[in-house]
Parts: sequence; C-alpha cells; structure tokens
Amino acid sequence: MELIKDNVVPWQEGSAKSITFIVTKDCQLACKYCYLVGKNAGERMPFEVAQQAVDYILGNPQLFPEKSVVFDFIGGEPFLEVDLIDRVCDYIKVQLFEKSHRWFNSYRFNFSTNGVGYHEEAVQRYIEKNRSHLSIGITIDGTPAKHNLNRVYKSGKGSYDDVARNIPLWIKQFPQGGTKVTISSPDLPYVCESVLHLYALGIREVNINCVFEDVWRDGDDQLFEAQLVLLADEIIGKGYYRGYACSFFSEIIGKPLDPELQNQNWCGAGMMLAVDAAGVFYPCTRFAQYSLRSKKAVAIGSVREGVNRNRLRPFLTLDRSTQSPQECMVCEVAAGCAWCQGENYDAAETSTIYRRSTAICKMHKARVRANNYYWNKLYRKLELEGETNNFEKKEAHVIC
Amino acid sequence: MKKLVGKVTVEEKDEILALFERRNGLSELAKIVTAENDALYEKLVSDIGVTSTKFQRWWDDMSSKYQWEKEDSKKWEIDFDTCEIFLL
Amino acid sequence: MLQHLVIMLDDTAASYCHYESRKTQRRLISLDSLKSGILFAMKQNLMLQVVYPRYEIPDGHKAAIESIDHCKVAQGNGCVRGVAVIIFDGWRDAESRLAVAEAAESKEKIVVLRTGKADFFAGHASAMQLLSRAERLNVALTDVDTFGEKDFAAYREALAALGEAVKQLYAQGLRPQLNILTDRLQLEKANSCNAGYENVTLAPNGKFYVCPAFYLEDESDAVGDLSAGLDVKNRYLYGISHAPLCRTCDAYQCRRCVWLNRKTTGEVNTPSREQCVVAHLERNASRNLLRSLQSAGLYSAENAIDEVSYLDPFDALTGR
Repeated sequence: MELIKDNVVPWQEGSAKSITFIVTKDCQLACKYCYLVGKNAGERMPFEVAQQAVDYILGNPQLFPEKSVVFDFIGGEPFLEVDLIDRVCDYIKVQLFEKSHRWFNSYRFNFSTNGVGYHEEAVQRYIEKNRSHLSIGITIDGTPAKHNLNRVYKSGKGSYDDVARNIPLWIKQFPQGGTKVTISSPDLPYVCESVLHLYALGIREVNINCVFEDVWRDGDDQLFEAQLVLLADEIIGKGYYRGYACSFFSEIIGKPLDPELQNQNWCGAGMMLAVDAAGVFYPCTRFAQYSLRSKKAVAIGSVREGVNRNRLRPFLTLDRSTQSPQECMVCEVAAGCAWCQGENYDAAETSTIYRRSTAICKMHKARVRANNYYWNKLYRKLELEGETNNFEKKEAHVIC
Repeated sequence: MKKLVGKVTVEEKDEILALFERRNGLSELAKIVTAENDALYEKLVSDIGVTSTKFQRWWDDMSSKYQWEKEDSKKWEIDFDTCEIFLL
Repeated sequence: MLQHLVIMLDDTAASYCHYESRKTQRRLISLDSLKSGILFAMKQNLMLQVVYPRYEIPDGHKAAIESIDHCKVAQGNGCVRGVAVIIFDGWRDAESRLAVAEAAESKEKIVVLRTGKADFFAGHASAMQLLSRAERLNVALTDVDTFGEKDFAAYREALAALGEAVKQLYAQGLRPQLNILTDRLQLEKANSCNAGYENVTLAPNGKFYVCPAFYLEDESDAVGDLSAGLDVKNRYLYGISHAPLCRTCDAYQCRRCVWLNRKTTGEVNTPSREQCVVAHLERNASRNLLRSLQSAGLYSAENAIDEVSYLDPFDALTGR
C-alpha cells in the first residue's frame, strides 16, 4: 500500500482531447454558487447537432491529433438527457469503428452529475452498457448542512438526501470515483467537517477548490486557513493520508515559479472543444453565453463552418507571464495558484482573456500556509514512526 | 494475494493497453451492432477475432521473453501505471 | 509611452491603413475639440498627425492646426496643401493622380497605397514609377484577412517581382523605400504601429480611440475623452511585450495591426495566420532581396536576415 495517497491524475491527462457536449442547460437544482447564469429548460441539444459535431470532429483527424479523447457530457444536469447521450455515444462508437479512427482504442465518456437521478433505470442502463469507458463524478459538498447551504432545488429545498442515497451505488460501480467540492464564502466554516464526512461516506478522492469569482470577504482567508489546519490535523491524526486524498494538500504548491521555464498557462481552454445545442463551438463551456455574467460568448466556429483556427490562436499562445500582473510573477508561493480563463475573461475590464483575475489570491496564500503545516506535520510523524527518512529536510540554521 | 513477478517496458505496456482498450471497445460495440448491418457486423466479428489473437500473443511473447513465474491456477495481470506484472 | 496623437478631422477622413472608411456623411470635428486635442498633444508632448477629409476644411480649423508642428495625411486630390502623407486607393488611382498631387506640393512625399489583393497582384508592375517618384511607398493591403493559399503564392511572386524592380533602382543609384520589402533590410527590432500604446486617435466626436479603425467600427469603443482624459484599459496588451506570437518574431517590418488582430482572432495582441504568413512572405522576400543586392555589391555585406523554417510563428511557438 502506498504510504501517502496521491491526488488522482485524470485519465490520459495531457494527451487526450476533451470534447464537451452541452446537452442541456436545464438542471433539477439551482445551486447558489453555480456560475451558469443562463440556465434554462429550453436549450436541449438535438441529436442531429451532436451527430454533425461528431462527423466534423472524426472527419478532420488532422485538426485533432491527440492520441486519446474524452467526450464530456455536461449541462445543467447531463443525465436529464440520458436517452440523447446514449444515442450519441452509440453513434460515436460506431463511427470510430467504421472509420478505423485511432480514438477507438482510447476513448472515455465523462460526466459530472449532481447525483439526484443516478439510480434511475435509464441512467443505470446506460452505465451498464458503457461501463468500461465511463468516468462519472457525483458532486456532493460534504455534510448535510454544508451541501444544503448551496446545492438546493429550485424550491429551495436541500438536495443532500437525494444525492447521498446514491453514493453507495456509485462507489460500488466506480470505486476510484472522486467528488468535486466547491467552496464559496459562506461554506468556509464547514470545510473540515465536510471533507471528513465525504471520507466517511467512502469517497476516497475529494477534489475541492475555492470559486474563482470575486466573492471573498475580509477575514475569509484566516477562516479558511484555520479550517484547513483542522483538516490537516484530522487527516494526519486518523491516518486518512494513506488511502484518501484531498486536493487541497499537495507537495507541489506554494513555491515560486520561474518566469521563463514555468510560463505555461494554467487553464486548458482552447485545448478543449465545447459544442452547444445550436452547434456552436467554444474553447470551453465557460465561454458559452450561459456561463458569462457580463461578456459576450466567445465562439470559435460551428458544426457547419468548422473550427475557426484564428479564433483559437489567442488561447493556444496564452502563457502565464502575458496575462499575470507583476505581483503574480514575483509571488513566492505562486505554484498551484489556479485561474479560470472564462472567469478571467468575464471579470476583465475589456473583452480579453489576457487579464488574470486575482480575486482568489488571499485564499491561495491561506491554502499554502495550511499546506505547509500539513506536510511538515505529516513528514515529522512519519519520520518519528520510522516510516520514512527520505523527505527533504530543511537546513538547520541556528540563529543566535 | 498478488505477487510481483516482473516488469515490461513502457512501449510494451502501451501495446497491451491499446489491445485492452480495443477489446473493451469491441465488447461494448457488440452490444449495439446487430447482424442486420451486414458489413459492420462482419467487420466487428473479424476484429474481435484478430484482437483476441493479438492479445494472447502479447502475453505469450512477453512471458517467454521475461520468463515470468507462473502457476497453473493463477494468471498474470499488468498494472498500466507502473508496467509491473503480477501473478494472482 | 505615448508619442503621437492622430486627429481625424471628419467622419469621411481618408483611411491611411488596412481599414475602410465607409462613412459618407460629413461630421467635422468641432473647433473646440480640435483646439483641446492640440492642447492635449502639446501638454503630453505628442507629435500630431492630422487626417483630412476630401473637402476643404474651414479657415478656423486650418489656423488651429497650423499653430503646432504636425504632419498632414490626405487623399491625393490636391485640396490640402503641405501634405506629408498622400493616400491613393489602388494602383490606377496612384498612377492617375500622383502628378496632380505632386503639382500641388513641393515637398517629397510618403505615398500610402491602399490596395486589395486583386488590385495588388494585377498592378504591381507599375511600382517602378511610384517608387522612383515618391520618397517612400507604403503598401497597405486592405484584405489581408481574406488571403488563402493561392493568394500567398501570388503574393510571393509579386514580392519577388517587386524585389527585382527595387534592385534595378538600386543599380541606378537610387535608394527606394518600399515598406513591405526594404524596411526589413535595416530594421533591428519590430516596427509596430503601436496604436493604443504609442499613439491614439482623437475622433470627430471629441473622444479618444485606439486608432481610426476602432472609431469607425464602433463609436462606443472609446478609450477616454477630452474632458476626462485618456483611459486605455489593459493598455499593456497593445505593447509587443505582451504579444506572445510577436515578441520573438523577426518579421520586423510587420505593422502588427491591433485592429486586424482583434477582428480576426478576438484579441488585440494576437495576429491571424493570414497576417503572420503575409508578414513572413515579406520578410523572406526581403531576405532574398538583401542577398541579391549584396551579391551585386549594392548593399553592405554586414547585414543579414536568417533563414527560418516557418511562415507562421504560431507553428514554431506551439510545435504544430
């Protein structure tokens, strides 16, 4: 058994093309932190649009040279359209095979679901049919209190009970499945207990992040740090580090970044391709109109015209230094500080993706402090228990 | 209880991974292709045969090359992340 | 650092660059705005470039403009005196009216030839005449964004022919300046337009714009006005240091048009493939010209332009 469980790396990360079908803009829930400002029940993807998208993508393999592919189905809630998805997946499989496309040997269908309808017969039938090519994550935010704070039905009722009842079935089917937790300002007091609650439910991989939007209030960073220190104590004290992972704690974050050698963009927008119900292509779903508060959608083509490669150029040439303010370039804890290109665009003063939003800065710094605490405490424990002696020790400078 | 009995190269791992993925793909495709679609059905049946043969040949070639430990009642398994071969 | 202020005197003022000036309704800048703009330029220590309409402006406006050192930009129709930059639309326009313009002026001229690809490919043979009579010829292609593979091939051929013409003039002891061929012979860094960064435009409505093209495209796209001052949001994006494709590119003659960039890619700092390939065809033609001039002993052997394996720096940057 591994000594410390690593955060799981996504399937074929870096070598897989991500193709996203926005199958519906409807959802049973009305989560308070949801960035999808334009959700509605009207825009459902017709099969013919999905078919045209598949035909274009598979018919132009030179434009999509990646060796693997992940077909993402998102909403709203994607499983509201499980019949459509089933038909689209069948079409994809047949087309990949008929065309002897290289992706037939390396594809996945990926879902992030709210979990409310996971048990339903149509969903289960679909899962059974495509089991070996599926990756499904159910979003559950933690304790009932934390979950129901944000993840509510349109009526205002919390959705925890309806999601939690499906967790055992999901874990049985996808033992490696991870959940995605989003933290906003009101959630901060619940961070520690929520992660522990998810572990108790049997979820071994908790991917958690603070929202990128400018929602943070004075004192939130201290509260966040305190919660993470509590969580660190619990994970170490109860030995969760052996079999469970929480993406908040990572050895690679919180270090300075070389302005030239570590100049890559963080976000993958532009490497992906999203298509909506009208057949319009986007560099990521975050650039579709329903995701944007204050800016116009950024389309990069359509199923009829294909990909406009000029529109992709800014995304594919974007790097860290070009979009970051100077404070970020000289930041001593820059590693692991994330950004969302869509949020950057939405928050920028002009219509540009070359303007990094720094709303998350103080939360990242709080995370780094707690992360340092976690690793110092964990390695000392392992060292005292004789389990490791090969971690990087600090130089023992004596100041006197 | 599984026992580590050897390791293959990354290239060798990639070869069996592709065959493994293809076999899974063919298996799931078989659930939706019917004999009514003659051409596709025949292509599928033929591919299943070819892929199975290649799959078995990989294990035969590798076990012969590396001389892995074996037992009649047990089978080998590969960890695609580490390229390690286990007997279980 | 801001260095130039362009004042567009009227909505119908001539285009001197890639954009089209399609407005037909006259809208002259108010005298107050003109004077305020001139005052702004004086206080900011900016060089003034005044773009004229096709008609004669009122005396008050003339007097205000003459109160400061400036550069006049106008169509070659002879109705403005002392023009430094004469604009022609197409080869035929240039051929037929250069003499008229010359007759009206005494100074040597910078000629801007605005031309579409069809006109350029068909008429470039008459470049010799223009090159020998103008101090400098600036070709502004008005439809770069529509270039396809066949156009690239035709452009390559046209540049080669122009290179021969330039070489002949060199052999006659002349030193013709043709932006798309001879600039790169001498440049050691990018010669970008730098609109939004080193220059801005005061439009007839009294507001500032990145350049006239931004005004003509969308009046609401202002970057300040005469009362509140200049306010270019995300100004750093107009500088070459924040243009990933351009900052390491050595097609130094490229004007890096931020308006075309935004039009084609959505970002002011990112050029389209068409712009990059056209710029590299020019760069490579300059390289051929340089080598040809050097081998004929007509140019210093110290200058060199390296060979590169790509026409689009995007391919080199992204490894595609």
